[in-house]
Amino acid sequence: MSQSLLEVRNLRTYLQSGGREVRAVDDVSFSIPKGDTFCLVGESGSGKSVSALSVIRLLPQGVASHPTGEILFNGQDLLKLDDPGIRAVRGSQIAMIFQEPMTSLNPVLTIGEQITEALQIHHPNMSDEEAQERTMLALEQVQIPQASGRFRDYPHQLSGGQRQRVMIAMALACEPQLLIADEPTTALDVTVQAEILRLMRKLQDDTGMSMLFITHDFGVVAQMAQWVGVMQQGKLVEVGPSSAVLHNPQHAYTKQLLAALPENLAKPVHLQTLRQLEQETESKPLLQIRDLKVWFPIKKGVFRHTVDYVRAVDDVSLDVPQGQIVALVGESGCGKTTLGRAVLQLEPPTSGSIQIDGQELIGLSARELRPMRRKMQIAFQDPQSSLNPRLLVETTLTEPMKVHGIGANHEERIELASVLLESVQLNRDFLWRYPHEFSGGQRQRIGLARALALNPEFIVCDEITSALDVSVQAEILQLLLNIRQQRNLTLLFITHNIGVVEYLSDQTVVMYQGKIVERGKTAQVCGQPQHPYTQKLLSAVPRLVV
Amino acid sequence: MTNVVSRESFAARIWRKTLDGVGVKVGFAWIGLLVFAAVFSPFLANSMPLLMSKDGAISAPVLKYLSVEDVWVLANFFLALIIYRLRIAVGKRVLLFLLGSALIAVFANLLIKPPALVIYDDFRTPAYTQVDWRIMPPIPYAPTDYLRDMVSKGLEAPFATQGHVHLMGTEENGADVLSRMIHACRIALSIGLIASGIALFIGVIVGGLMGYFSGIVDMLGMRLVEIFEDIPTLFLLLTFVAFFGRSLYMMMVIIGVTGWSGYARFVRTEFLKLRKQDYVQAAVASGLPLTSILFRHMLPNGVAPLLVSVSFGIAGAILAEATLSFLGLGVVDAPSWGAMLDQAVKSSSFNWWMAVFPGGAIFMTVFAYNLIGEAFRDAIDPKLSGKGEGV
Amino acid sequence: MLTYLVRRLLLMIPTLLGISIVVFTVMALSPGGITPQALTSGMEMKPEQRKAIEDYYNKRYGLDKPAPVQYLRWLNNVSPIGFVSDDQGNRGEFSFSKGMDLGTSFQYGRPVSDILAERIPITLLLNLVTIPVTYLIAILVGMKSATNRGGSFDVGMGMSMLALWSIPTMLAGVLLLGFFANVQHFQWFPTAGIGSREAQDMPFLPHWEQTGFVRGFLLDRIWHLVLPVLCLSYGGFAALAKLTRTSILENLDSDYARTARAKGLAENDVLWRHVFRNSLLPLITVSAGLLPSLLAGSLIVENIFSINGMGQLAVEAVKGRDRELVLSITWVSGFLTLIGYLIADFCYTLADPRVTYD
Repeated sequence: MSQSLLEVRNLRTYLQSGGREVRAVDDVSFSIPKGDTFCLVGESGSGKSVSALSVIRLLPQGVASHPTGEILFNGQDLLKLDDPGIRAVRGSQIAMIFQEPMTSLNPVLTIGEQITEALQIHHPNMSDEEAQERTMLALEQVQIPQASGRFRDYPHQLSGGQRQRVMIAMALACEPQLLIADEPTTALDVTVQAEILRLMRKLQDDTGMSMLFITHDFGVVAQMAQWVGVMQQGKLVEVGPSSAVLHNPQHAYTKQLLAALPENLAKPVHLQTLRQLEQETESKPLLQIRDLKVWFPIKKGVFRHTVDYVRAVDDVSLDVPQGQIVALVGESGCGKTTLGRAVLQLEPPTSGSIQIDGQELIGLSARELRPMRRKMQIAFQDPQSSLNPRLLVETTLTEPMKVHGIGANHEERIELASVLLESVQLNRDFLWRYPHEFSGGQRQRIGLARALALNPEFIVCDEITSALDVSVQAEILQLLLNIRQQRNLTLLFITHNIGVVEYLSDQTVVMYQGKIVERGKTAQVCGQPQHPYTQKLLSAVPRLVV
Repeated sequence: MTNVVSRESFAARIWRKTLDGVGVKVGFAWIGLLVFAAVFSPFLANSMPLLMSKDGAISAPVLKYLSVEDVWVLANFFLALIIYRLRIAVGKRVLLFLLGSALIAVFANLLIKPPALVIYDDFRTPAYTQVDWRIMPPIPYAPTDYLRDMVSKGLEAPFATQGHVHLMGTEENGADVLSRMIHACRIALSIGLIASGIALFIGVIVGGLMGYFSGIVDMLGMRLVEIFEDIPTLFLLLTFVAFFGRSLYMMMVIIGVTGWSGYARFVRTEFLKLRKQDYVQAAVASGLPLTSILFRHMLPNGVAPLLVSVSFGIAGAILAEATLSFLGLGVVDAPSWGAMLDQAVKSSSFNWWMAVFPGGAIFMTVFAYNLIGEAFRDAIDPKLSGKGEGV
Repeated sequence: MLTYLVRRLLLMIPTLLGISIVVFTVMALSPGGITPQALTSGMEMKPEQRKAIEDYYNKRYGLDKPAPVQYLRWLNNVSPIGFVSDDQGNRGEFSFSKGMDLGTSFQYGRPVSDILAERIPITLLLNLVTIPVTYLIAILVGMKSATNRGGSFDVGMGMSMLALWSIPTMLAGVLLLGFFANVQHFQWFPTAGIGSREAQDMPFLPHWEQTGFVRGFLLDRIWHLVLPVLCLSYGGFAALAKLTRTSILENLDSDYARTARAKGLAENDVLWRHVFRNSLLPLITVSAGLLPSLLAGSLIVENIFSINGMGQLAVEAVKGRDRELVLSITWVSGFLTLIGYLIADFCYTLADPRVTYD
């Protein structure tokens, strides 16, 4: 085993938050050998980011304190360094990159300026020409095409992936020995993520640096790390070589996390046999979409005439069979969300036809549309904004019922709402609370309950688990399967997570730039993809089994 | 993420956070003082006795001389107190208050008939002074009592007059400054509330329509907003007042009509934001009627930031009235802080008490509303205050 | 960028028209309307004078015609392109270079354009001096507060700024005048006007002469401007200081500031090299709204300090019901305001590379 570059011993980090002290990092010890990658995994609130920030001491001074612990970097305790000392380390020996490349770069400075700054802080005698040259080299190293032209670009002129490359170039400019990466690819599309991860591995091979990689995605761990540490609520519950931890976990929490991954999730048993039977017969399509276009005009010029269109949904035809879950997959900007909303008439379609149960939806007036709305509902992604913060849960659930005449009187509706809550596995009492009193997962359940309130036949699920932790996601997915079974629902499940697609859906539709590029039974699309984009997409997903 | 934080509604939470701080309490205390002075001004500063007994007969001259307006204000105050105590929904409370207020106005107009002419000097004649006992208001001068029988010179500093005490001096016509200031509270408060109310009403409707419907409505609305924004408001006010004459109600209406553009912009921005919120989309997807979407889902969530605007707006309205009075275009006989301020520099000497007291009152009122507005802002969006802690 | 400018300029036209319509309507709707009697009532005047006024208005507007027609005639007179009218007021031919005829003021007995040409520079001087002063103080105070967050300077300034903002302009003016320009207290500053009479003859810069120190035109101007500018600016810098503080605090907490610290920058450098420029952006946005409030403030300040600027003129014009003057002043103020917005927007594009207008 090579010598340790970084050794963290008994680190404690306490944070002052709203008058209380939070033990963000509670007695954590691990070490990173030279040239290796160490992944810190955990769900939100586990303390992994705080640990990383503690190493480089970027936590706000008045707020964070370290009662105990040592952080030994090349034998020197970083916690004991004074301010000039730690600044000399930051950027030159230990560098850090962050999650959101757009906001992590200064919008009013060019990327060239920001990289040269990194160089000139630690090499004050470097001339401007030399700094520029080294910046160009750094940009080429991270594979930014036409580096010399890009020097004067501003961050907003680059794509997300390119910005992250710039961040990496900036971090590596002074050739650090340790790179800390805090969820660097979480905000990127899957295909872009694959490229960035590949780049980082290559750079690591070239320079021999170590990496401390923070993530919540086990697939990424499997691809990148030699060592992994699992954190739960500030404590490091398991640490060891990644192959051992991932395939033979010891701690209960690790086992629980791994079991919650969609790849490992077990389907409710009684369903499996039933589904197989049903899938033999071809169900009649509940939803029929023909040649749907949703185009948004781009207006330019003095008189704002339309010069072009953003073709969010471009000539899409789709059948959603009754009782099945169809997954709509794609990366950001492919049009899947717009399609889902257009079906519900939340976005006005430009042209085409949408029929539910044989009834045409486009062209109906608001009044004619209202009874149709009972048949189709939607559940949203963001738990923070999916519920009206001013209304009690009871009102949120009973108001749609009242409008559509479900339930003879108020008491009956309350009873129906209570039953709804129970079917999403929440307590009846929760009717009388406000949204801010619930966690993210609970709010998503309430959102589902609201979607079920009108007893619809069809629900669009717009990335409902994308903002949730893995374990919570697992619960919601299993809940969804149960509800589907009980009520014979048809679901259009929009997501970008291939693991969820494989677990949940019967059929899969892949979208790219407003068009459908591939569709079919999930097993087939994911097992033997035909279209080159689908192939690229599937190969880019980081898998647990490497 | 904790499970149960608290059992309060959104409104209660905002209210609690707002009141957390010294400044805002001072602000509310001052406004409370003004409200008290405005409601009870006939009893606080008047030349006639509150209660007196002459030859064994007890009478209350003050009550005889109460005007329709005085009675209306008093009755509304008690009405508001009663309604506050009732446990019914907010909307119903407002309606009840408006109804009650209108009824009182009607009855007051019919029943209250004070004597048309009041000669304040009479109250200093033996008819009123040689009595068994009498209780005078704390400030024994009416606002329009020019003390002609006392041969006062006008514009005298506090405590400078011979013979009787004027705590804040006298103004140019001889009337007591403190008394006028107390009675001016009514104008100041009502201008603030009514003018802002009108501006808010117009602004919310225009802004709401613009925000919800977009398209042509939005474009036309924006032009309208721009026009009213770009007209130098003070100038328009001056023009209105100069050409239409000076009437208190006219001024309130005018200040309201010229000041709505800020609210409209604000409401429009909020509505545009709210329209994209998921719960609004869910309401649309559930087929809820438009009124419900607007008034139950969008408006209550857009109101909170509006409170901040309104607080500052009321302060602005009060300033506008004071400025008009200062420039010589305000109401003539009724007491006004701005008019008194104008007198500070009228004569060649600097009458400091005319600047400090009414000016100070304007300042305190504006300051109070600004404090309240700031507190609302901090409560609603703690990020903006920069006081937030934590990582 | 050019298309944006053109579009904005074109959009200004309906707004300007709208403003003038509103003001004209107010005058037309007033009791008495816009008949010649209303215009001259209440003023002591000899019959010949009255006749002269009526004649003049009749020529320009045709006073017996309905209000919209009168408005259109005014519009025609004022706009640089339109129908040429001869001495009798009859309509001539259409011309593209008629020139703007703003009319004659009867209060002052001179053409409006002359009066405006005299008064506008003074108001502009006052406002243009005020704006940099306001910004400078606001930025300094805001920065110090932000870097001293929670400390005594910050808390003290926070309260003071809010209090300062709440002081009505006229109170401040009256107090300043009363205490600092008065024989009764400290006469450090002149009471009125924007320049002493002797100053006109003085050379520009101060210098020593045999008779002693001569103030010079420049210093004299400055001396006269101190109190009015102070009065006009305090409200502005109170509000801007708070905005600066908030903006800087937000930016100090931002992701890119964190990146800068991760690179090893000292806190001071993070502030000046990265945060400062980003924090100024909201200040530029706000500056658009500053000009209208300054113009309004000028009304009061010029009144108190007896400065013969446009604000003072406006008050006089309205009091004297001088129609030509009122309309022209409205129009000019509206125009200046809109230009102010345009300049502010333009400055914003310069400062923020993310923003492009097309």
